[in-house]
Amino acid sequence: MSAAVSVRRRKVPVGHYVRVTSGVVACLLFLFPVFWMVLTSFKMPRDIFTTPPTLFFTPTLETYISYMSRADIPYRMLNTVIVAFGSAFISIIAGSMAGYALARIRLRGAGMLGALILLSRGVPPIALAVPMFLVARSLGLTDKHITLILAYCTFLIPYVMWLMRGFFMALPKELEESAMIDGCTRFGAFFRIIVPISLPGILSTMIFSVILAWEELLFALVLTNRNASTIPVSIAGIAGDSVNGANWGALTAVGTLTVVPVVIFALLVQKWLIQGLADGATKG
Amino acid sequence: MSNVEIRDVRKAYAGHAVIHGITIDIPDGEFVALVGPSGCGKSTLLRMIAGLEEITDGEIAIGGRVVNDVAPKDRDIAMVFQNYALYPHKSVRENMGFALRMRRTPKAEIDTRVNEAARILGLEALLDRKPRALSGGQRQRVAMGRAIVRNPNVFLFDEPLSNLDAKLRGEMRSELKELHQRLGTTTVYVTHDQIEAMTLADRVVVMNGGRVEQSGPPLELYDRPHSLFVAAFIGSPPMNFLEGKIDAAGKLALDTGEALDLPALGHPAGTAVTIGVRPEHFALADKGWPATVSVVEPTGSETQITARLAGRVIRVLIRGRTDVGPGDTIHLHADPKDVHVFDTLTGKRI
Repeated sequence: MSAAVSVRRRKVPVGHYVRVTSGVVACLLFLFPVFWMVLTSFKMPRDIFTTPPTLFFTPTLETYISYMSRADIPYRMLNTVIVAFGSAFISIIAGSMAGYALARIRLRGAGMLGALILLSRGVPPIALAVPMFLVARSLGLTDKHITLILAYCTFLIPYVMWLMRGFFMALPKELEESAMIDGCTRFGAFFRIIVPISLPGILSTMIFSVILAWEELLFALVLTNRNASTIPVSIAGIAGDSVNGANWGALTAVGTLTVVPVVIFALLVQKWLIQGLADGATKG
Repeated sequence: MSNVEIRDVRKAYAGHAVIHGITIDIPDGEFVALVGPSGCGKSTLLRMIAGLEEITDGEIAIGGRVVNDVAPKDRDIAMVFQNYALYPHKSVRENMGFALRMRRTPKAEIDTRVNEAARILGLEALLDRKPRALSGGQRQRVAMGRAIVRNPNVFLFDEPLSNLDAKLRGEMRSELKELHQRLGTTTVYVTHDQIEAMTLADRVVVMNGGRVEQSGPPLELYDRPHSLFVAAFIGSPPMNFLEGKIDAAGKLALDTGEALDLPALGHPAGTAVTIGVRPEHFALADKGWPATVSVVEPTGSETQITARLAGRVIRVLIRGRTDVGPGDTIHLHADPKDVHVFDTLTGKRI
């Protein structure tokens, strides 16, 4: 039988179209505010509130130039990078190891311990922010990067631990048992075998951790003043200008500048998120 | 190479005992198969030898050294897992050389040993592939290569063939046997497949409920099972069983009220017994136990007959061919030396 005859057009089920349409609609719903923010950031103030709203206008970088020329914006951007990546990095190391321990080591009450750590995420951040401020003040650590990094670790470590625990539980335990027979200690098996295999999971958890820390406002507002203040604090300042009203051009420009680094980071690490890296480890 | 001594080993999880004091002495170079149904404790025992499970009580010694508190990496053992457990981010070459690298073996020697193992297992062309690019049988070979490249004191196999299809399983079984004959390394092999155990091992240890039911050469277990459990477990198709009591005339009085002529076995009247006859030990005769044929399955070299004898389904294996058909009455004869008699209450051989 020739290849042309054997290849038949398969009938695409209706469910497929429903799924694709739902996905497109969901993407549009989520992406439209971002699109509108970016669009608005290139508008002159007079174009922002035209009725009806227009998609075609003379773009300008005026808002970007005026805000980037303010001394505090690049500085706060740098602070945000330091704090977001610093806290994500520490949380990934501590959270992954804790997640591995909960996934693998038989400890009485390990499940309960994991649930309690997860429950700590349920505590309203405001309930922690004030005591944290008091502790930081008494230690002379207010308005420092390390204070904000440690504060962010309080909610990032449980998050990473829980996500990575699920990831490790899905890996066959024979992999590290085999490594331990081959000459590794438990730590060696973790770092030489489990971490490289778990890289896709670790990187995707890292992306979400960076995003969570990047957009955090409350702790940054309470624990910093000038030196360690982050971009979300600036945005809050622009939005809450009670004298002149919200400067929408500035808000959207700074908002765009805040989003872009995270998107670039996500795109950069995306190539490492290779699906099916663990394929072939076990039977099949 | 080393001997393995398992002395009164026990294992309990949270107070619940799963291994009840097992003693097995495995001489240097012997191939021992631990066989039994799921949950009998055979894999747990193997993992205790490997050091992957703590020993609750008793001792395990490898090469005369008690290893209860020795880490797996320091026991000089190699283990092949049921799911192969190949490192997915490493190539076949790296997988096979990993244990040697961990022992800081010179690179030239690693290359030599990996290449030699690859040659033995026919993996030379696959050395630079990742495990995901291999078939099930090739992965199985790599797992074995990873074990043999180390030249360990003891090989441990945990149901290594159970994920392969029947044809490949048969081929790998032969390769495993050849490999053991060539290397002569002490081997402990866990399987639930009694055919695998019988064909591969020098000695088969049948386990049940965390205890050793019987241990011995494969044919000894087949010919003289010590208990009903072993008799039922070893052999395919399985042994036929008939329960009843010895009557005053020396016949087997079945629960159904019928009586079957038994060879003169010399058991006292009134004893509740279960007799076992292997399918191939029945012969078609002019006189004997009457049975009604329900299914006839010819395979060419032999014919398997399923029949009802005194209300029980039995299987008969006849060498060659026969013209009996469903519904026919056949008369079965068994040589007294081939009839196994067990105490129904204790399950032990009489």
